[in-house]
Amino acid sequence: MFTSIYMVFAWVPTEADQGIVQRIFYFHVPCAWVAFAAFGLVAICGIFYLWLGQQVWDDLGYAAAETGMVFCTLVLITGSLWAKPIWGTWWTWDSRLTTTLILWLLYGGYLLLRAMAEDTPQVARFAAVIGIVAATDVPVVIVSVRLWRTIHPAVLVTRQGGHGLQDPRMVATLLLAMVAFTAMFAWLLMLRFATLRVRTRLAAAARDLNLAYASAAEL
Amino acid sequence: MSRFSAVLRKDLLLELRGGESTIALVAIALLVLIVLVFALNPAGGSRDAPAAAGALWVALIFAGMLGAGRAMLAERDNGAIRALLLSPIDPATLYLAKLAASFIFMMVAEAAAVTMIVLFFNLSFDGRLLGLAPLIALGALGFAALATLLAAITGRVRAGDLLLPILIVPLFVPALIAGVKGTGAALAGAQLADLAQWLKILVAFDVLFLTAGYLLFEYVVGED
Repeated sequence: MFTSIYMVFAWVPTEADQGIVQRIFYFHVPCAWVAFAAFGLVAICGIFYLWLGQQVWDDLGYAAAETGMVFCTLVLITGSLWAKPIWGTWWTWDSRLTTTLILWLLYGGYLLLRAMAEDTPQVARFAAVIGIVAATDVPVVIVSVRLWRTIHPAVLVTRQGGHGLQDPRMVATLLLAMVAFTAMFAWLLMLRFATLRVRTRLAAAARDLNLAYASAAEL
Repeated sequence: MSRFSAVLRKDLLLELRGGESTIALVAIALLVLIVLVFALNPAGGSRDAPAAAGALWVALIFAGMLGAGRAMLAERDNGAIRALLLSPIDPATLYLAKLAASFIFMMVAEAAAVTMIVLFFNLSFDGRLLGLAPLIALGALGFAALATLLAAITGRVRAGDLLLPILIVPLFVPALIAGVKGTGAALAGAQLADLAQWLKILVAFDVLFLTAGYLLFEYVVGED
C-alpha cells in the first residue's frame, strides 16, 4: 500500500495532457474494480446462503456489501475530483458514471434493508435475494446505459485494442495499486467479517443463556 | 396451469367486484401526468415527444409501485397468504399468478395513461401509438416481475413501504432507459425496426427478472 502511494505520487511520470490530476486514476480504477468485485461477492454469498443456509455466508455477504459501499463511494468521489478540472464538470450522465451510481444506490438499498430489519434468518434470506437480484441487474444496466450515451475515457481497453498508458511505469503503478487496493479490501472485509462472526456467536450464546434461564425457572 | 389460473382468477374476481386497485392506479397515473404537465409546461405537438415519453414512464413507475405493494398487502391481511402457502400451489406458480394480476392492472392504468398523454401533450391518435404497445407491455411485465418479488420482502419488514421504492427504482433503471428512449422514438414516428435495440433490452430485462423471481420467490414468501 505504502509502496503504491510512493509510486503514485513520486515515481510515475506525470501525464502529458492532464497534468498532476491524472494521478488520481491510480486510486480511482482499483477502487472501481474492488467495488464491482465486492458486489459480485455479495451475490455469490447470497446464492450460497440460500443453498446451504449457513450463517457464515450471510455474514460474509453483509461484510462484502459494507466494504464494497465504501469503495463505491470512493470511486464516485475520486471520479468527481478528476472530472471537474478535466471535463469541467463534477458529474455527467456518462455510461460508466451512471452505472456506478446505480450500483451505489443498489448497495444503499441492500444496506438500508439490513439496517432497518432485525437480524433474523428471514431477513438474511431477503438480503440474499436482493443481493442476487441486484447483481443480475448490473449487466443490463451496463448495456442499456452504454446505448444511452458515453464520454468516459476508455483507458484500459481502447477501441483500437491497445491501452492508453504511454509509459511502462504507469502500467506498473496501476498494477501495484490494483494489488494494494485488493489487499486492503480483503483486510477490511476480514475485519468486518470477523466482527459479524463474533456478533452471530454472541447472539447464539445469548439465546442459549435465555433458554437455560427459562428452563431453570421452570424447574 | 390450472392452479395458476385459479389464483389469477381469484385476484381478477376480487378486482371486478371491488375495482379498488385499477381505479386507484388510473387515478395515480392521471395525477402524476397532471403534475408533470405543470412541471414541464409542454407546448404540445410532436416536439414534446421526449417529454411525453418521460411522463408516461414516470406514471408507470408510480402506479406500478403502489399497485405492487397493494397486491401483496391484500394477501397479508387476514393471513390469506398462509392459506395460499398451505394449498398445493408451489411458490413459483403463486409468484407467476400474482405477477400476472399486477401486470393486468398496470396495463389498464397504462392504457388510460396513454390516452391522457395524447390529450395533454396534444399528440394525435394514429399508428404511432401502436408502436408503444410492445414497449409498455414489456416494461409493465418487467416492473411487475420485480415488484411482486420485492413487495413480498418489503411487506414483511419494518418501514417496508419506504423501502420498496428505494429498492425497485435503481433496479428498474435499465428498463426505464430503454422504455423512455423507445417511447420517445415511437412517438416521434420511428418504425418498429428502429425500436429493436430498446425492445431487446426490455426483453432481456424481463427474461432475467422473471427467471430470478421464479427461482427466488420461495425464499421470500415462506414462513419461519
